[in-house]
Amino acid sequence: MAQIEIRDLGIDYRKPKSNEVFSAVDNVELSIEKGEFVTIVGSSGCGKSTLLMAVAGLVNLSRGSIKIDGKQVTGPGPDRAVVFQEASLLPWRSVRGNVKFGLEMQRWNGGDLNERAMQMIRLVGLSRFSDYHPHQLSGGMRQRVNIARALAVDPDVLLMDEPFGALDAQTREIMGTELLRIWERHKKTALFVTHDIDEAIFLADKIVVMGRNPGHIKEVIKVDLPRPRDEAILDSDDFHSLRKRLRAHLAEDMSSMQLVKEVA
Amino acid sequence: MADMTAETTATRQVSFSALRPSREAVVGTLAVLAFLVLWQIAPSMGWVNGRFTSRPTEVFFAAIDVFRKDDFLFHARISLTEFVAGFALAIIVSIPLGVLLGTSKIARYLIDPPLMALYIAPTLVLLPIMVIWLGIDMAPKIAVVFLGAVFPIVLNTMAGMSEADPRFLRMARSFGATKLDIFMRVLVPGSLPALLTGIRLAVGRAVLGVIVGELFVSQAGIGYQINLYGSAMRIDRLLVYVLIVSAFGYTLTILVRSVENRIRDWRSK
Repeated sequence: MAQIEIRDLGIDYRKPKSNEVFSAVDNVELSIEKGEFVTIVGSSGCGKSTLLMAVAGLVNLSRGSIKIDGKQVTGPGPDRAVVFQEASLLPWRSVRGNVKFGLEMQRWNGGDLNERAMQMIRLVGLSRFSDYHPHQLSGGMRQRVNIARALAVDPDVLLMDEPFGALDAQTREIMGTELLRIWERHKKTALFVTHDIDEAIFLADKIVVMGRNPGHIKEVIKVDLPRPRDEAILDSDDFHSLRKRLRAHLAEDMSSMQLVKEVA
Repeated sequence: MADMTAETTATRQVSFSALRPSREAVVGTLAVLAFLVLWQIAPSMGWVNGRFTSRPTEVFFAAIDVFRKDDFLFHARISLTEFVAGFALAIIVSIPLGVLLGTSKIARYLIDPPLMALYIAPTLVLLPIMVIWLGIDMAPKIAVVFLGAVFPIVLNTMAGMSEADPRFLRMARSFGATKLDIFMRVLVPGSLPALLTGIRLAVGRAVLGVIVGELFVSQAGIGYQINLYGSAMRIDRLLVYVLIVSAFGYTLTILVRSVENRIRDWRSK
């Protein structure tokens, strides 16, 4: 059995003013194997972040189920850790203090907290900055801290919600390579939401393409590019054809959006 | 390497500014000196009546008199006691209340409107009632200090708590934080700067409360002395007391602000 089993998932929201109910995600079926790197890609409003937050246990399901290692997800748990879109680092804590935060919350008893935190900070290459505060760091560095904080609690599943979305293209590419380097070490199951096509292909074993109204899975694409990967792969033929395929999906979504606008 | 150079430049700048006073300091000092000179010569030049304005030198000698005789310490102790008692009471009541209001929406809906009304109204108008309830001893002044100080602290603590960044809350929950964890590790440290702002604003209102309270009803205290010398037309001594009050309030405010700034350092973006 797969490590993560999502069956017939639906998530409804009530619009705050009109009391109208709409579906953010509907009819989602997805299986993710242990150690797999899965990226979820789609245009904004396709429910990809909602899906991720559901796996994190941070939103309530309206229909269906999510199971991890056979256990129903009912809320956040130590088997999962989230890397959020914006750094969400506590500004009054140092880099080390922030990395320790998750450990403190989970009452970590696998040894010295400081040592564990420093180990993770070294892993993301920020040893010299362990006493800095978030406002002294660049956006890329902050996301490194964010990743270190999630990895520190040693989760089985790493959930990432557009972690590099706010970074410039160059930094983003570096962070992607860096993330793969870290991931190769532990091969934790990873779920990574992005709207960047190249990023989605570069990182993935499997790409989940989502569409909108309501959010659903359009296609699951296997990526057989060899690992370990580096930027050179961006110019390969396989990469190009995958990119073309994804572009077509997203373009379709955009045109249907246009249509809705015109009708309205 | 890059940030090491940045550090040395920063240190150099600091040491320079210590040697050479800033333009702000020079202009400020000159302005004060000019004012003192003008004040000193104005009565002799016949521009103003010295009986009403006094002179810096007279105020200076009056200050020596006040500190040597005049039971200064006696009066200061009374005013200070009223201030400290009222302020301490305000802190004891306002912080838990602010926390409650900041964390419970229902409590906020319930108490927010009357709280706002009391905050905006000058609490000194309640002084006559306080006198009827509490007599003319220290108690009504303590009450007025309390009323002046309590609202800014409550409102700022409440704002600090309720305006906590929702992203922090979600992040904490994702790591399985309990409600208590979120309170202790996210809400409390996050609202500390707002709490200090409240305390700083409260200092001014509390000082005002003591002095005005004493001006109206008292048999002793700094405000009593100000009233006494005012009716006796002793402008020099009156000004000595006024300066003492303002120095006291100023020093406290600066003190709180420096703590505030240190804590706010990490927020500076």
